[in-house]
Amino acid sequence: MAAERLLRILSLLAERDGSGVPRLCDVAVEVTAVSGAGVMLFADGRPQASLCSTDDVSLLIEEAQYTLGEGPCVDAHRLGQVISEPDLGGANCARWAAFSREAFDAGARAVFGYPIRLGAARLGALNLYRDQPGALSDDQHIDALVMADVAARAILTAQVEAASDHLGAGLDGDMNLWAIVHQAAGMVSVQLAIPVADALVRLRAHAFATDRLVAHVALDVVERRLRLDIDE
Amino acid sequence: MPNQALLVQSLVDLADNLVDDFDVVDVLSLLSDRCVYALDVTAAGVMLAAPSGTLEVIASSSDTMRTLEMFQLQSDEGPCLEAYRTGRQVVNIDLAAVGSRWPTFAAHATADGFGSAHSFPLRLRRRTLGALNLLRIEPGALDEADIAAAQALADIATIAIVQHQIVIDAQTLNSQLSAALNTRIVIEQAKGKIAQATDTDMDRAFRRLRHHARNHNQRLGDLAARIAQGAIDPGSLDHLPASG
Repeated sequence: MAAERLLRILSLLAERDGSGVPRLCDVAVEVTAVSGAGVMLFADGRPQASLCSTDDVSLLIEEAQYTLGEGPCVDAHRLGQVISEPDLGGANCARWAAFSREAFDAGARAVFGYPIRLGAARLGALNLYRDQPGALSDDQHIDALVMADVAARAILTAQVEAASDHLGAGLDGDMNLWAIVHQAAGMVSVQLAIPVADALVRLRAHAFATDRLVAHVALDVVERRLRLDIDE
Repeated sequence: MPNQALLVQSLVDLADNLVDDFDVVDVLSLLSDRCVYALDVTAAGVMLAAPSGTLEVIASSSDTMRTLEMFQLQSDEGPCLEAYRTGRQVVNIDLAAVGSRWPTFAAHATADGFGSAHSFPLRLRRRTLGALNLLRIEPGALDEADIAAAQALADIATIAIVQHQIVIDAQTLNSQLSAALNTRIVIEQAKGKIAQATDTDMDRAFRRLRHHARNHNQRLGDLAARIAQGAIDPGSLDHLPASG
């Protein structure tokens, strides 16, 4: 029964005078019984912010997708459909060349992306992972669908009372906007006299070429241990 | 004590209405009926604030309840109005003893045979959307468990109302969310440009950005966007005062 699933999620999220946003990832893990979960928000077709993640593996799954621009969350958002990769280590898993390896090395064996949207509004995607290979059961799948719907409503509800150009209370708390990557992009843009958008591409390319996360490369730039014009 | 089985069924019925495209009036009518079945009360009703701020009777479990709610609105007094205006529960009101506080409402309610009144705000953060009003024939206090259960039903009704509105505004809200994310991002990019151009750290770069925005009465996000886009030289911002 969809109503019972929804009721369970709402009662787990429920908090007096709140949107439930801070608990979205924890509740997603609890209702779907997977190893970990994360919620990513998109802007201009790219993942731009992580709202929450439940553990180090989920965090790395998000970092890798942010760096590489590929993965279950990215596909779920772009295609507007559920993405399921039940065996990351399998011979047939060539869907995401770079991401699959990163996620596998981090300990994920199966990954899933559920679009977070409401009507025509596309917000981002819910990432789920398991530390063992295997597809989600029908029950887990339906719970994840309801969870993604609740997430969309909870996130937009949190934004209702926000002042213009500000994030809603509840969204701001644990959100990771990869601030350091944008700081580094600003610096590289001045160093190389190129637009900031191009500087972001250069940072990601450097991260890919050196097999590192873009956030780690960005930290080196901001702490002035690395200049892309000298290195490349 | 609330009837647990009925209460759970009430919650499930209400949640069911969340799933499909629903009519707010239907959900609140369901809530009123369920309160009477699941809680130890005689009548229930819901008032909701119109966009103009004036309260309207939306749902009632009986015609008597509807009439009493209308009396509250007409005489501008009563527990439901107080719960709405204060955002707090107004419970365990002995109707025989509140003639001076709410003369019109108390007189009509006792004439209709009611002994006590209990009102719960429909509340989301600082916003109160309306109130749930419960009446009992018996005077005296509601069971603590009934009070908690009634507020839980009111909270779910609130989520139902708010999420209903969210669907209508989803695209606008999502655009506002994206704009807020972008503002935060361009501020970080501008900090990076200023830090590089003036050979300083991010903290000082941010203070200089904010200082310049204030000096020129510009919004921080607008100034940051122009710097990030290259329309303003990041090295040309006003200097911080010597003490800064």
